Amino acid sequence: MVSEPDAKTFDRETLLDLVVNAIPLGIILFFILVFALVNPFGSDPVNTAIQFSIMIVTGLALLVLTYVSGKAVSEAEDELEEQGLELSEEAGADGTAETTAPAETEDDTA
Amino acid sequence: MAVEQLALTVLMGILLVAVAGLVSRMVDWRSYTPLGGASAIGGSGYGGGHAEKPAGIVRWFTTVDHKDIGILYGIYALVAFFWGGAAVLLMRAELAAPGFDIMEAAFYNSLLTSHGITMLFLFGTPIIAAFSNYFIPLLIGADDMAFPRINAIAFWLLPPGAILIWAGFFTAPLGLGIDPAQTSWTMYTPLSAEQANAGVDLMLLGLHLTGVSATMGAINFIATIFTERGDDVNWANLDIFSWTILTQSALILFAFPLLGSALIMLLLDRNFATTFFAVEGGSPILWQHLFWFFGHPEVYILVLPPMGLVSWILPKFSGRKLFGFKFVVYSTLAIGVLSFGVWAHHMFSTGMDPRIRASFMAVSLAIAIPSAVKTFNWITTMWNGRLRLTAPMLFCIGFISNFVIGGITGVFLAAIPVDLVLHDTYYVVGHFHYIVMGMIAFAGMGALYYWFPIVTGRMYQRTLAKWHFWLSMIGTNITFFAFLVLGYLGMPRRYATYQFDGAIAPLAQVTTLHQISTVGAFIIGIGQVVWAWNMVQSWYEGPEVEDADPWNLKDDGMFGREFQWFEAQKLAADGGEEEVATDGGGVRPDGGYRRAVRRVDDE
Ligand code: HEM
Ligand SMILES: [Cu+2]
Repeated sequence: MVSEPDAKTFDRETLLDLVVNAIPLGIILFFILVFALVNPFGSDPVNTAIQFSIMIVTGLALLVLTYVSGKAVSEAEDELEEQGLELSEEAGADGTAETTAPAETEDDTA
Repeated sequence: MAVEQLALTVLMGILLVAVAGLVSRMVDWRSYTPLGGASAIGGSGYGGGHAEKPAGIVRWFTTVDHKDIGILYGIYALVAFFWGGAAVLLMRAELAAPGFDIMEAAFYNSLLTSHGITMLFLFGTPIIAAFSNYFIPLLIGADDMAFPRINAIAFWLLPPGAILIWAGFFTAPLGLGIDPAQTSWTMYTPLSAEQANAGVDLMLLGLHLTGVSATMGAINFIATIFTERGDDVNWANLDIFSWTILTQSALILFAFPLLGSALIMLLLDRNFATTFFAVEGGSPILWQHLFWFFGHPEVYILVLPPMGLVSWILPKFSGRKLFGFKFVVYSTLAIGVLSFGVWAHHMFSTGMDPRIRASFMAVSLAIAIPSAVKTFNWITTMWNGRLRLTAPMLFCIGFISNFVIGGITGVFLAAIPVDLVLHDTYYVVGHFHYIVMGMIAFAGMGALYYWFPIVTGRMYQRTLAKWHFWLSMIGTNITFFAFLVLGYLGMPRRYATYQFDGAIAPLAQVTTLHQISTVGAFIIGIGQVVWAWNMVQSWYEGPEVEDADPWNLKDDGMFGREFQWFEAQKLAADGGEEEVATDGGGVRPDGGYRRAVRRVDDE
């Protein structure tokens, strides 16, 4: 893993990991746009507000959680690297870090 | 009347005091300390603390050891699994022919209700808690749960919960007029508000208890995973099962209290003439909104940890690390959030505002993505891997296969036009059984086999386990694929008969498909009998596991933390203390017939 400690919150690797949640976000965004443009049922203050807030609130919640968890994980990664410990799930709770290559697991596409 | 009640209350009080007195005579409460005991402070190793366990049955009633509690959850869940299974086999027998043949509609409805509630609340949630209690502390290097006593209380709320939920079946023969509830698991109003039967009240109270239990458990897991991790476990190398349990706990924390409130409102409507869910009051649709705001997260509460189990076990027998580990983590979190924005996809046909309905469709389609991502990750993990088809692995593969069908049928249902045709048909029942049976039960079985050596110190019988898998896999697919087709033919769900007008649906085909799924259900049933035999017999007389690595995980660098703990226990045991290695609580018949396995062959 090539992570130079930089000023940005997320390095490239982490951003790549987070892409997975960008897809559902994109779908929600798509529907927000579609429902804003195509409106066969007409508008009604209450119902239209509920209609959009369901999508917007859930989308925002997803965005926030993705950001917070991505930040927590990438900070934790840096911490482990400083200690020279392994990133893998199997790394020992008893402190015996194994000597296999640091597992940036999504890279090992055989 | 008032005097009678007073007398009853006093009597009850005396009884409780007597019980407390009796229990305190049997056990010395002071011999317990909550967290691993003062003596174990500083030791990075597990152990200590729970050394002083009383013998026999008292141990199980007083334990605060997370491993014991895990076993209690497991046994509880399996008892419930057999209750729910027996109920459904009776129902399937009734459905083997179109008319009323072996039971009345009322009894069918009671079985249906009991089956649904039992499987979701008394089997599904507890079987997951069994694994999480036993293994999360081991996986994160904690001494125990953060609050061991709360952990014990959370479990002990469950048995009374089950007794209340099933109460109607026990009281009906007594002629007290308390019959089993016939509300179905969704307890829709006005039906559930207007059934005068006190059995419904008992069931609601029992459900409330199980909800309190789940919430206490969730708080405990959140606290444990945040604060009790070992020194070298942090967010970057937290294992996938712990991630899913953390997400599940968060969902429980937000969903179950809402169910509790809704249940109380329903009890008030039933007994104190409030009108929360009355047509002239809050409206029956309010119940559906409250119920499904809980209910949809509940289905993910049930499925996320099994996904975690498979993500943990599958790589072990593929010889490769989980592909895209972090994709799985983030998509788990995404599912957790999104599952709160989709509840009304269960209510598309209630006549709600079409604009709002469309939004729920949008979010429901979005939630399918993180689910699909996981499926591709599992498949890619196996791709070009060195697969070893052991029983746990077979169950993992079956899990994925069933999820493909269960998940895709869900996406169809999330499309409003499709749902309006298929809602309340067997198609829906097929969809969610591919998930609850095909995934949750399968992952549970796989994990039981995978960890059987740790819990019991013994190995199960592998041939029987294969039989169990194939009977379950074939039975599940026969039964529930027939459901999907029945749904397409228009067979409505929740009926004890199907003698309708031939113009509505082709009666001959419907009958045949019902018979096919009855056969499938009995195949599943036989498989579970094989499994029960295997578990019990192997627990008592299976070959002892000599090596702490029964799955040959070290060769692939996949020797997980729980097996590392197991190894440490075994080493400690060799150093003298005999008792430690078999933490299963099972009695080991010494001197009996003992074989030994060192390793399990690649299958
Ligand atoms: C891929 C994601 C999923 C989608 C899009 C989805 C969609 C749906 C929809 C739209 C319905 C309502 C059908 C109707 O009543 O007309 C439904 C029902 C149901 N789903 Fe799913 N589902 C998904 C995954 C799951 C999972 C993972 C579970 C369980 C762990 C599950 C369990 C259920 C249950 C229990 C019901 C029926 C509830 C009832 O009416 O009794 N679903 N699903
Ligand atoms: Cu749902």
